[in-house]
Amino acid sequence: MTTNLIITTVTNTHMSIASPMSQSAQPTAQLPAWTASLLRLVSPGLPIGGYAYSKGLEHAVHAGWVRDEASAREWILGLLEHAIGQLDAPVLLRVHDALQAHDASGAVRWNAILRAHRESEELALEDAQIGAALRRLLGTLQVVSEDDELTRVELSYVAAFAWAAVRWQIPRLAALEGYLWATLESQTSAAVRLLPLGQSAGQRVLSAGLLRLPPVIERASQLTDADIGAVAPRFAMGSALHETQYSRLFRS
Amino acid sequence: MKGIADSMGAPEQAGWHAQLQLGFARAGARTVLCERAHHGPLRVQRAFYPEADGSCQVILLHPPGGLVGGDQLQIELTLGGGAHALITTPGACKLYRSAGAMAKQTQRLQVAAGGCIEWLPQEVIAFAGTHTELLTRAELTGDARFLGWEIVCLGRPASGERFTHGTLRQRLELWRDQQPLFLERAVYVGGNVALQAAWGLAGEPVVGTFLCTAPGLQALELAPLAREALKSPLTVTAGELVSASCIGDVLVARYLGPSTERARACFTNLWVALRPQLLGLTAVVPRIWRT
Repeated sequence: MTTNLIITTVTNTHMSIASPMSQSAQPTAQLPAWTASLLRLVSPGLPIGGYAYSKGLEHAVHAGWVRDEASAREWILGLLEHAIGQLDAPVLLRVHDALQAHDASGAVRWNAILRAHRESEELALEDAQIGAALRRLLGTLQVVSEDDELTRVELSYVAAFAWAAVRWQIPRLAALEGYLWATLESQTSAAVRLLPLGQSAGQRVLSAGLLRLPPVIERASQLTDADIGAVAPRFAMGSALHETQYSRLFRS
Repeated sequence: MKGIADSMGAPEQAGWHAQLQLGFARAGARTVLCERAHHGPLRVQRAFYPEADGSCQVILLHPPGGLVGGDQLQIELTLGGGAHALITTPGACKLYRSAGAMAKQTQRLQVAAGGCIEWLPQEVIAFAGTHTELLTRAELTGDARFLGWEIVCLGRPASGERFTHGTLRQRLELWRDQQPLFLERAVYVGGNVALQAAWGLAGEPVVGTFLCTAPGLQALELAPLAREALKSPLTVTAGELVSASCIGDVLVARYLGPSTERARACFTNLWVALRPQLLGLTAVVPRIWRT
């Protein structure tokens, strides 16, 4: 990744307060100053409730579309590449770019486009609820202020994530890699709980996912506006069918 | 409607550039077709009035029956305040094999406040080897309403043709007052993993999306009714799937399965169930669907 070039210009007060890692360990030449902020932003421990959502995976398991390690890997990695990589990923880059350029209305416009792409009520709610939780957290931490134009619209998680990344001076491609990793980890963790899948099997899925991230990031960064979006029919339908599923652990 | 190139794929040519512009206006109790301009092989017959409420039905005719590489078809419909029109087609729209040139069909439906459009075309059949882009974009103003669907068949399952090569890019968009309400972009690439994947089409050739929107739709809680209506034409077969979900004021239903006929049966049933709720009208099935 070429984003490390930005390191030298970073002077980030939030981060030095917020990240114990940067205080306790000697900063090394290899780790950019924003590293700990990114780790914090993608941590499953960040209190935004991501663990409560499965993006329709719960229905996929219920219906038998996902039943073992191999089918879980195909489901998670396939969606990462063909759905999230085609929609969330390029929109995240655009929101990041807009905010970096102080173009709040551009960010709002991309947020609206992404929200209109959500395939089912639960996917739309998941995105809005996690987005709102992250926005509240950023407000509490005084990373963002209440008078910002972005606080006046319902934010997608993707847009809130990009907003946090810009405020914490995390470069665009690093932010995207972090977002994709967080999604991969959350989906894999859902699969481990749902199937159930052994912890080692879950780790193998993550390893396979890590190999897919570079091509997904490269492709996402090359997409034109007209190429954004890709419907995955059974993913969309599975999520809609989850709404009426009798027994549910997850909210999506 | 059978195109001459039905079985062999059409010969490559410069392609048709056809346009059709229709304007509808409310005149008293009736909706009239007040503007019609065409260029190339796109036509309409007169407006029909099979319903007592004065809404009109119009059948879009495209005599070639399909698109070949290089074709560019543009359909623009404008509905004035309070106008209500139902639009359909006499048969499937076939997307023929192309040696490489892209075909493009754009459908723009503008509906003013108080207006209502029902966009109920018959299915699109994408032959293996086609290169086509389809865009259907409804631009609604104020409290305008939309009900409609798009059904796509990849390959020709009846004659054993699978969608092994070719590309179909399809967009379906609802906008209200310049804000995006629902956007869907599908890209079907012959032989791509998405056609077989469990999260994708899972090997099924027919995929359809039904959309409707009206202000206040969310409060009507139509999803349970929609689910019932979608299911009733189905006999349960492996792989066939229907779903419905209300995202705010947009109801989106989907079909995935083996047959365009069944997709149409599901969506027609849904349309029949929703029409009294959303438009206060019972459904009058266009006669052309029965021929």
